[in-house]
Amino acid sequence: MITGMDRLVAAIKGEKSDRIPVFCNMIDQGAKEMGMSPEEYYSKGEYVAESQLRMQEKYGHDNLWSLFYVGKEAELLGCRKILYAKHGPPNVEEFVIKTYDDIERLEVPADLTAHPAFAEEQQCLNILKREAGGKSPICAYISSSMTIPAMLMGMEKWMELLFFGPAELREALLAKCHDFFVKEVKAYRDGGADVLVYSNPFGSLDTVPMKFFLAHSLPWIEKDISAVGTAGMVYYCGMSAFNKVIDTVLERTGLGVYYLSPWDDIAEGKRIINGRALTCGVINDIKLIDWSREEIRAEVKRMLDAGMPGGKFLFGTGVMPYFVPEENIRTMLEAAYEFGRYA
Amino acid sequence: MLDTIIKAYNEAIFDTDRDQALRVVHDAVKQGVTPEQVVFEVVLPALDLMVKSISENMDANLAQHFMTAQIADTVTAEMIGKFQKAPQCAGTVVIGTAQGDMHSLGKRIVIGCLKARMMEVTDLGVNVSPEHFVDEAVGRKAQVIGISAMMVHTARGENGSLAVRRLLQERGLEGRIRIIVGGAPFRFDDTLYRTVQADAWASDGVTAGKVISDLIGEVER
Repeated sequence: MITGMDRLVAAIKGEKSDRIPVFCNMIDQGAKEMGMSPEEYYSKGEYVAESQLRMQEKYGHDNLWSLFYVGKEAELLGCRKILYAKHGPPNVEEFVIKTYDDIERLEVPADLTAHPAFAEEQQCLNILKREAGGKSPICAYISSSMTIPAMLMGMEKWMELLFFGPAELREALLAKCHDFFVKEVKAYRDGGADVLVYSNPFGSLDTVPMKFFLAHSLPWIEKDISAVGTAGMVYYCGMSAFNKVIDTVLERTGLGVYYLSPWDDIAEGKRIINGRALTCGVINDIKLIDWSREEIRAEVKRMLDAGMPGGKFLFGTGVMPYFVPEENIRTMLEAAYEFGRYA
Repeated sequence: MLDTIIKAYNEAIFDTDRDQALRVVHDAVKQGVTPEQVVFEVVLPALDLMVKSISENMDANLAQHFMTAQIADTVTAEMIGKFQKAPQCAGTVVIGTAQGDMHSLGKRIVIGCLKARMMEVTDLGVNVSPEHFVDEAVGRKAQVIGISAMMVHTARGENGSLAVRRLLQERGLEGRIRIIVGGAPFRFDDTLYRTVQADAWASDGVTAGKVISDLIGEVER
C-alpha cells in the first residue's frame, strides 16, 4: 500500500507515485474532533495526537501535525498567559518582552526537551511516531529567528524595534531567538518530526521591501538554515507571497521545499524553481469557507493544472480555519485526489 | 520650492527613510514653509499618493505602510503644535481589535494615517468587546467604528463586527455610525466585509485612512 511518505518522497525526487502528495493542515479542528474544550484539548499531547490520527483516518490526507498552536513557542520562552478561543487558535495574551530591558532578561532554556511546556508536545510526537512514523510525514512548525520576536513582544513593537530601534538591541534579541530556533529544530527532529515548516513572514516582499530583505531578512535566513541544515525544512512565509525571492533563497540556502502563498502564481513559482526543489501550491482556505462545491473543484483543478506538469509538486492548505465546513474539506480533498492522480 | 520639498519627502517615504523625511520637513520649516503647508501640502498628499500607489501596485508592503503612517503621525503631531490656529476636526473614529484578538499593528497604522488627516481617534486597544466599541462610539460621538481582526475566528465570529452591527441596530444608531473592518482575513476574501455586515473594508492601513474619510463624508451628508 502506498503511504503518504511514499508520495512525498516520490514528489521530492521528481518521481510519480499514485498521486501527488496532499497536505491538509487541520489544527483548530482538533478540539471539536475530540469533543473537548480548547483548554482541555491542548492540555495533553495524547489528545492532539489522537485528533490528528482520527482526522487523517476520516479525510485520507497525507500529513500529520505535532503543532498545538504557534504561541507554544512563546510559552517555551516564558509566556504564562494564553487566550483560548472556541473557534480559532489560542493567542499569546501577555507578552514576555514588555520593555527593552526585558530583552536582556530573556532566557533561552538550555534544553527545550526538559521544559514543562515541551513535555506534552514530546508526548504528541511520541504517539505520532509510534502510530505513523515512516508512513505519514509528521510536521512541526518552527518560527524563524526574525519571526519569534513578534510572539514575544507583539508585531507592532517588533516592527518598531526592527525599523526604528537601537540596532544592538535588535541584534541581541535576534541572536537569542536564533539560539532558540536551533534548539527547537533539534528537539523536533529528535522527537520524530520529518517536515519542519520554517515560518517567516519577513521572508516575503509583502512584509518588507527588497532592500530590507537583502540586508536583514536574508542574512538571518542563511544563518538559520546553515545552523540546522536543509533536511526536512520548508520555506513558508505565513501565507505571504514569495515568488520574487525564491531564486535568491534557493541559491543562498539550498532549501528544497517551497510552500507558496495563495497569492503566488503557481506556474510562475514552478518556472522559477525549475526542478531544483519541491513546489507546494496552497489553496486560499479562507475562501474555502464559502465556496460552492463547483467553485472548490474548479479551483483545485486550476491549481493542479498549473502545478503538476513536470512533477515535483504538492497540494496543500494553509492553517485551515475552523469555520471551513467538513463538506468543503471533503470536496477539496476528493478533487485533489481525483485531479492529482497519475496515469 | 514646495515642489522640491514634496518630491524629497515622497522619496523618503517610499524608501521608508524616517530620518530623511524628518530632515526634509525640518529644513522646509527653516526655509519659511508654514507648518500648515507641511501638513496639508506635503504630508497629506504623500499619504494619498501612497494610497494611489497601493491600488496600482501590489508591491507595496507592510513595512512601507507602517513607516508611512508613523512618519505622517510624527510630522503632523509636531506641526500641529505650531499651527496659527487649531485645525478643524475632520471626524471622530473609535478603533480597536475584535474581541479575542491581540494583534495591534494594523490598527496602529490606521491611527497614524487618521491623525494626519486631522481626525480625532480613540484607540480602544486589543480584545475589545462589541459593547465597548458601541459605548465608546456613542460617548465620543464617533461617525466610524474601526474593527481590526487578524484571525478568521475574530473576523467572522459572533463577537466581532456582527455583534457591533446588532448593537447598532438595537440602539437605532445605524444612520449615524458606520463600521469599517480590516485585517488579513479580509484580504484573502474581499467579500467577507459583507458577510460580517460591515459598511466597508480596506486592504491595508494606509488605504483605510482614505476609506474612513469617505465614510465620515457619508454620515455627515
